[in-house]
Formats: sequence, structure tokens, C-alpha cells
Amino acid sequence: MSDDGFAVKLEGVTKRFGKHTAVLDFDFEVPRGTICGLLGPNGSGKTTIIRMIMGILHPDEGRVSLFGSDPDVTRRTKVGYLPEERGLYKKMKVLELLTFLAEIRGVSRSEGRKRAGVWLERLGLTEWSDKRAEDLSKGMQQKVQFIGTVLHDPELLILDEPFSGLDPINQDVLEEIVRDYHAKGTTILFSTHLMHQAEKLCERVCMISNSKKVLDAELKELKAAERKGVVAVEFEGPDTWIRGPEVDHVEEVNGALHLILRDGADHQAILARGVQSEARILRFDLVEPTLHEIFVRHAGADAVGDAGMPVLAGASGT
Amino acid sequence: MWHNVWAVIRREYLQRVRSKWFIMVTLLAPIIMIAMIVIPTFIAARSDRSDRDLLIVDGSGVLYERLASDFEASGYTVAEEPWTVDVVTDLRQQASDGEIGGFLVLDDLTLETGEAVLYVNERPSLIRRMTLRSAIASAALEYQLEQQGLDAGAMLAGGELRVEMLVDEGSDTDDPQFFVAYMGTMFLYMVILIYAVSVMRATLEEKTSRIVEVIVSSMKPWHLMLGKILGVGAVSLTQIAVWLSMGALAVGAGIPMLIAARPELANLDTVVAVLPGLWLLILFVGLFLFGFFMYSGLYAAVGAMCSTDEEAQQAQFPVMMFLIIPILFVLQAIQEPLTPLVTWLSLFPLFSPVLMWARVAGGGVPGWQIGLSFVLMGATVIGVAWLAGRIYKVGILMAGKKPSLPELWRWVREA
Repeated sequence: MSDDGFAVKLEGVTKRFGKHTAVLDFDFEVPRGTICGLLGPNGSGKTTIIRMIMGILHPDEGRVSLFGSDPDVTRRTKVGYLPEERGLYKKMKVLELLTFLAEIRGVSRSEGRKRAGVWLERLGLTEWSDKRAEDLSKGMQQKVQFIGTVLHDPELLILDEPFSGLDPINQDVLEEIVRDYHAKGTTILFSTHLMHQAEKLCERVCMISNSKKVLDAELKELKAAERKGVVAVEFEGPDTWIRGPEVDHVEEVNGALHLILRDGADHQAILARGVQSEARILRFDLVEPTLHEIFVRHAGADAVGDAGMPVLAGASGT
Repeated sequence: MWHNVWAVIRREYLQRVRSKWFIMVTLLAPIIMIAMIVIPTFIAARSDRSDRDLLIVDGSGVLYERLASDFEASGYTVAEEPWTVDVVTDLRQQASDGEIGGFLVLDDLTLETGEAVLYVNERPSLIRRMTLRSAIASAALEYQLEQQGLDAGAMLAGGELRVEMLVDEGSDTDDPQFFVAYMGTMFLYMVILIYAVSVMRATLEEKTSRIVEVIVSSMKPWHLMLGKILGVGAVSLTQIAVWLSMGALAVGAGIPMLIAARPELANLDTVVAVLPGLWLLILFVGLFLFGFFMYSGLYAAVGAMCSTDEEAQQAQFPVMMFLIIPILFVLQAIQEPLTPLVTWLSLFPLFSPVLMWARVAGGGVPGWQIGLSFVLMGATVIGVAWLAGRIYKVGILMAGKKPSLPELWRWVREA
């Protein structure tokens, strides 16, 4: 297979719905074996991108490839896809439903049934296997759906907002499963609007705002590159020393002051000034910026709603 | 990728066949049907029994012999009371004492006008009066005709019209069987509609629950549609097979047993006499299958292009019209199966299941027309599959409002 090392590759992809542009000139790659997060506020185009990767939507311009070629049925079958909108056959018993989902992806019925049993046990749903899907709680249904996604041992997991709707305990369970798959070499692409989730899990992040890509990098490199930018300080006494040509502006975060530095400025000069001043410095700390802060810095404050959660107006990504 | 289609068929079939609703309808419907035929016969036979003894006073002297056999065939036990001057007064007394139920008096006037008097304590049923009245009238008429030297039996049997065909065209079946033709048409219409609508609902459910996104990620939409239609089709055949075999069992074993046990149910034999033969049953199943494949494809497309039940209710209407229109011509098709209008209409594939059945069961259709209609329906099944498959492919993953006709056409072209 000539997949040039990428599980997923988008080149110059644009998708419009009527007058609304959902995705604009989008380039994006998911190298094999990585965990990649697709981040952005609601309505930024994440789901549209995922649906194009899954061949559900077709790009107006540009090219989408899955394992190095068009996303046809054969290649899509190697993907475990968890859509954003969750659906099950309501009247079907859980174990039968899972066996069916495995079967249509080429797993034999007996093997599918066996694997489903193992997964139901792992997620604490064994006693529900003969219940109808509609009798399960939302969270349980979501777990069942996740099991359906992985039963055929996919090479690539595409999870659209997998954490939403799960309680913190189950979020941790899911996180652990994703890590397991990563350890086995499975490529994972997931979308989320929860930055802290991505921060814990991703090796690579791609940020979208307003249908456009604003950032696409390895998380480690990204953080290293952004690290020099912010200094958290706590002190007693006069505050004149924190102002200077290096500091762009100051924000108060959790009782500490965050000094946001100008590009290329050296925090050392500020520290020197502080030591010489009358102030008593309690903390001088190069802060690793959160993904949220990085996102805001790159996408602009407009993209961020009041709750600190990025929210965007616009049509949903259907 | 046929294992996918097979998986869908299997799921669809088992889910439906195992549902309580299916089991109930499949088993109860024929039982209710049989009960509807047997119970009234049973009740009628019972109520007749108390009145089955009939005492006849024959003042004419010629009618009793003729009537006795007729009445006995209708289930009466007859006895003659000789004519005397006081006989009516005596018998009235006996009747009011409860010794006899009632009696029939015939005299010379009966021979001339067919008028007779029935003395009873309880008012007889309309059917009973009709039976007696017509038997008396024809006995009197028969007598008079014989006096004239005519063949009264042949005349009264309704004469005979012998048909000599000048052209070699027409009936492969025998006499028109209105009952079979009409009930069969309604039954065909109903099962095709019910099962085609099932396909639409299933499609809509998959679409609105969004599970279709997961399924279509690993199989072609066309395969999903095919699997659904074949699965539901298999369910419908199962149901029809159960119904037919229960019917066959009832006719073959049940009714003779019932009649043997209760001779008063002999009337049931007439029901058996109008039942369709094997060749008609095969035709019925054939028409159903082709009709189902044509309409379920169309209904699948309707389900795929809608997002809510209400929308689907509206959108299915044009498709349903094609099932309803032929119903308007059913009576005409049964009565005059060879008129050009009915012939052409019945060859139009979407009308064929209903109208061809009405024509064939109703009387006579040349074999080549039946063959042609199956060829045309076959071609339509393929055409519908192509068209519906394309609409389905686009529609099933589309959210939002129902497409307009031009949009629909674009789907078909672009899919």
C-alpha cells in the first residue's frame, strides 16, 4: 500500500454548504501511529472534516486520502469510526447489535460475539448484554457504541467528540483505552472542544477556528515554542519592576500575575529588575501555557466565549 | 462484500420475525379469518336446529312430494299431515300447547299464485322465510309447466347459454370467481403496502438514529438498501407462507373434520368450493413479490430523503397513489377483464400486481399478457433499484429538509 506514512491526508480541502463555508483550504496530515487531536470550538468544521475523511461528505475542492488513497469502502472498513451523533438499533439486544456491527466489517459472527463479550466485561456491561439498547442509560449506550467502533481491530480510530456525555470516571476509562490502542500502534484521530482532554492525550494537535486551520504541530514542540512567552510572578511590595519593554501586557490568573512577553523578549531582564527593586519576590515561574491559552493566542479572543470555552457562532458541521 | 448484505438480511429478518407483534399477527389473523367464516355458519346451524321439524298440510295434493326433497336438502325433517276440514284448527291448538313448533299449509291457491301460510310460535328468520318461499314458488311453477308439457327442471335451473369462441383468445381459468378476485386484490394491495412501508420506516429509523453513518462507513449504501429490502421481503414471505399453510390445513383437514363432527355445518363446503387453486396461488405470490420489490424500492427512497415521520407521511403519498389508482378499476377488471382500458392499465407495471390479479382471478387473461406483465415488472424492478439506489445513497446521509424535485434529480445524476 502506498500510503506514504500517513493514515489521513487532506490537501487544500474546501467544503461549502450553500453560502456557508464549513472548511476552507485545509491541509492536514495524521502520521501513522500517532494520537492526533482535532481541536476547535463547536461549529468550527471538525465534524465536517471527519465526515469527509469517512467519505460521507465529498470536498468541493482539494483531495482527501485515507491510507494513501480515496476513502472507499475497503479502506473505510479499516477505520473504527465513532460519529458525533450516536445511534444504535434501539430494539436490539446489546450483544447481538455488537455482533452485527462486527459482522458487517468482516469479523465472523462467533469471533465478533467473543470479542464483544470481552469488551462488555472490560467496560462493566456484561449484565446488560441481553438487554435492549434502549434500556441502557445514555452513558452506557455510548460505551456500547465505542465497543462497536473497535471490535474489528481497526488500524485507525476516528472518534468525533468521544468524551462528551461521559462522566469523569468513564472519561478516564476511555482515555486509558485510547492509550492502549496507541501503544499497540493504532493511529488515533479524535476531535474535541475540551482542550484539557487533548492536552492529556495528544501527541499532535491541529486547531481549527472559523473553518480555517490556525495551528498544526507536535504538542511538545508547540509547548516548548510557546513556553518562553509567559512568566507567572507573585511578590510583595511595589510592582513597578514588572513593567518594561519586554512585557506586552499583564493578566491576573488565580491570584498570580501572568506577564505576557513580547516576541523574542528575555525574561531574565525582568528578573534582574525585580531583584534590584524593593519588592520581595515569592515566585518567578516560566509558565507552560495551556492549550486553551495557545488556542486563544492563535485564534484571537473573538473565538472565545464567556465561560472560557471557545464557542463560535455559525452552522453546525453537518 | 456480499457477507454485508447477508448480515443485513439476517438482522432485519430475525429482528422482525422474533418480535411479539409479528408472531401475534401471523398466528392470529388466519384464526380470526377462519373464525369469521365458521362461527356465523355454526350459529346459523344451531338456531335452525330447533325449527328443523316441519309439518306440512298439503291441500293441493301435488306439492308435498315435490317440496319434501327440497326441504330435506335444506336441512328440514318434513312430515305430512293429511288434509281434513279441521286440520288447521287442530294443529293451531297443538302448536299453542307447545306440542309442535309450527306448520305449513298449502292449498290450490298455492298452485296458482305461490301463496302459502306458515303458522309458527316464533317469528322465523328472513333467510328461513326466503328458503321456504322460493321452494314453494318453484314447486308450484314446476307443476304448472309440466302440465304444459315443458322441461320445467331445465327452465328453472336458469336455462343455459353455451359460449362458442370464434377467436382463440381468452380464458385459461374457469368461471369467474368474484370472491377470490376481489379479496385477493385487497389482500395484495394490503401486504404490498404494509411491507413497503416497513422498508420506509426501517430506513427512516436508521437515518434518524444516525446508526447509518456507522454502517455505511463499512458497506455501500446500495448494499444496505438491498439487504433491507430482501430482509423485509423474506419476513413477508414467511408470513404469507404461514397464512397459506394454515389456510390449506383448515380447508384440507379442519373443515371436513368439522363437518364430520357437526353435520349442520355442511354449508362450509360452499366456502371451500370458491377457494383458489395452486396455479392461482403461485400467481398470487409472484405478483406480490414483484409488487413488493417495485414499491419497497420506491419507499426506501422516500424514507432516505426524509428526516421525520411526518415528512415521510407526506412524501409517500405520490408513491401510494400508484397503488390506489388500480383499486378504482378492480370491479371493472373482474367483470370485463378483456376491455382495452383494463388490459392496458393492467400491463402498466406499477398497476400490474393489483389489476392483473383481478383480471386473472376474475375471468380470463391470455397467457402472453400475464407473461408480458411479469417481464415489464421485472424491468421496472431493475429501473426502480437503479433510481432508488441513487436517491438512497445521497439521502441516507443527508440531514436537513426534504429535497425538491430538481434537487432529487441532481442526486440521481450525481450519485
